[in-house]
Amino acid sequence: MRRSLLAGFTCLVVLFIIAPLLVLAFSSFDDGKFFRFPPRELSLRWYRAAFASAEYRSSLVNSAVVGALATTISVVLGTTAAVGLHRGMLKSRAALEMILLAPLTLPLVIWAIALLQIYSWLGIGGTLPGLLLAHATFTLPFSVRIMLASLASIDPGLELAARSLGAKPARASVRITLPLALPGVATSAALSFFISFNDVIVSTFIAGSSWMTFPVRLYSQLRGQGIDPTTLAIGTMIIVSILVAVVLTEVISKRALRT
Amino acid sequence: MVTRGHARLLVAPGLLLVAGVFLAPFLLLVAMSFWSQPEGTLLIDPTPTLENYRRIFSDDYYLRGLGRTLWLSLATVVISLVLGFPVAFWIVRRAGRFRRLVTALVLLPMVCGALLPTLGLVNILSPLGLINGTLKALGLIDRSIPLLGTQAGILIGLVQAFLPLMVLPLVAVLDRLPPSFEEAAMSLGARPSQVWRRVVFPLSAPGVLAGSTLVFCAALTSFVTPQILGQGKIATFAAMTWQQASLVLDWPFAAALAMVMLGLIAVLGGLLVALRRRAGGRA
Repeated sequence: MRRSLLAGFTCLVVLFIIAPLLVLAFSSFDDGKFFRFPPRELSLRWYRAAFASAEYRSSLVNSAVVGALATTISVVLGTTAAVGLHRGMLKSRAALEMILLAPLTLPLVIWAIALLQIYSWLGIGGTLPGLLLAHATFTLPFSVRIMLASLASIDPGLELAARSLGAKPARASVRITLPLALPGVATSAALSFFISFNDVIVSTFIAGSSWMTFPVRLYSQLRGQGIDPTTLAIGTMIIVSILVAVVLTEVISKRALRT
Repeated sequence: MVTRGHARLLVAPGLLLVAGVFLAPFLLLVAMSFWSQPEGTLLIDPTPTLENYRRIFSDDYYLRGLGRTLWLSLATVVISLVLGFPVAFWIVRRAGRFRRLVTALVLLPMVCGALLPTLGLVNILSPLGLINGTLKALGLIDRSIPLLGTQAGILIGLVQAFLPLMVLPLVAVLDRLPPSFEEAAMSLGARPSQVWRRVVFPLSAPGVLAGSTLVFCAALTSFVTPQILGQGKIATFAAMTWQQASLVLDWPFAAALAMVMLGLIAVLGGLLVALRRRAGGRA
């Protein structure tokens, strides 16, 4: 009795957490200009509008470009830093880790206000390099954390075994440790990309009219005119791609475990 | 094996990025908050002045905004704790093979950023939305209950957005609490309520503190959710800061507002450290 009560309560809370995403997806099929529940008619009208809209496409492309480049920086620097921390036996490891993870603990809004001033001095406000630098910075701690966990889960004996069987250190790393760390790399990349892609908190301060990302555009639209149902369809497609990425990383880690 | 010199080289690029692009700007923020911007201009006067702070603490608008924000953040913490604790307990003790799935679902909205869940929330809370539509269809109400543009609406949004930040540290701390502790208490004759009060809660206090801090800081500095769900009618402190930085373009004043938030967070952090020391000293 107590057990099922706890399970029921958990289900309700989890439902509450994901309800906005479910309703977002559901309301994207409502034919009306304003979502009403229960809906009068369902259609794919807003999906057709989403694919036809050139203005949304350009901001989505901007988001994807920033996301892809920031992810590359985040994963490369995050992985190398994690390897250094994991293997280096540095005395200052705890302090270094704290600095690397700082963007997770300090509020990004406060940081973004300081960036405004610095970017205007450097003349990179509202530009791709400015956005990229910021996005690489706040996605880096995710890569560091995931790669640290991933490296910690690899048995160091495996690489030693390869070396004792005659493999050179570099070869042992590439053939043994790298494949085992691959799921971590995939997870870091997926997480970094979507966190960058969906970021509004930092980008709303530093994105400009020439580099408008999709969330920044959506945010100004929401404050001014309310919801354009086309964005519901786009939002649903973003959520679906996140789910696809989650399943893919899951498949990659299952595979890595098997080989 | 990686030598220490190599390890330093490997860590350096990431460290430089965070130290240079993330931490250094905080130092500038302190300085900026003491600068001023003569009215009607966008030029910054770097002569140190306390004017920005005087303005914040003498203007009712900002003080009331601060009070409102503190109350909303505190309420978010309490509700998240009440909702999050049983969920964390279930994930650790009962989820079994569903653990990964449920954890992924709890984390999903965080990867979606601040806006996509807010879009869904608008359609849940709006006068024709899910809640009002359902209540009307059931014949429970004739006229829509206002949820958008109210503090209740904002609170729902804040809890939804930051509940995962409460669940994660609770899961981490409960994971380290062996079930045998509860069984031992039970076998010594404790009633289930006593087990919770005397064993589970006290031993999960570090997780409760960590989760509460994360949720409080996130709610305190959140501006997207309050702005959209409050329909611009209810200004929170972070929303005021955003407005000064992005619309009014008074950056020094925005910096001072941001410093007030940072100060509150620092005070809270100090309190926590002191609390943990005391708890550690007693144990």
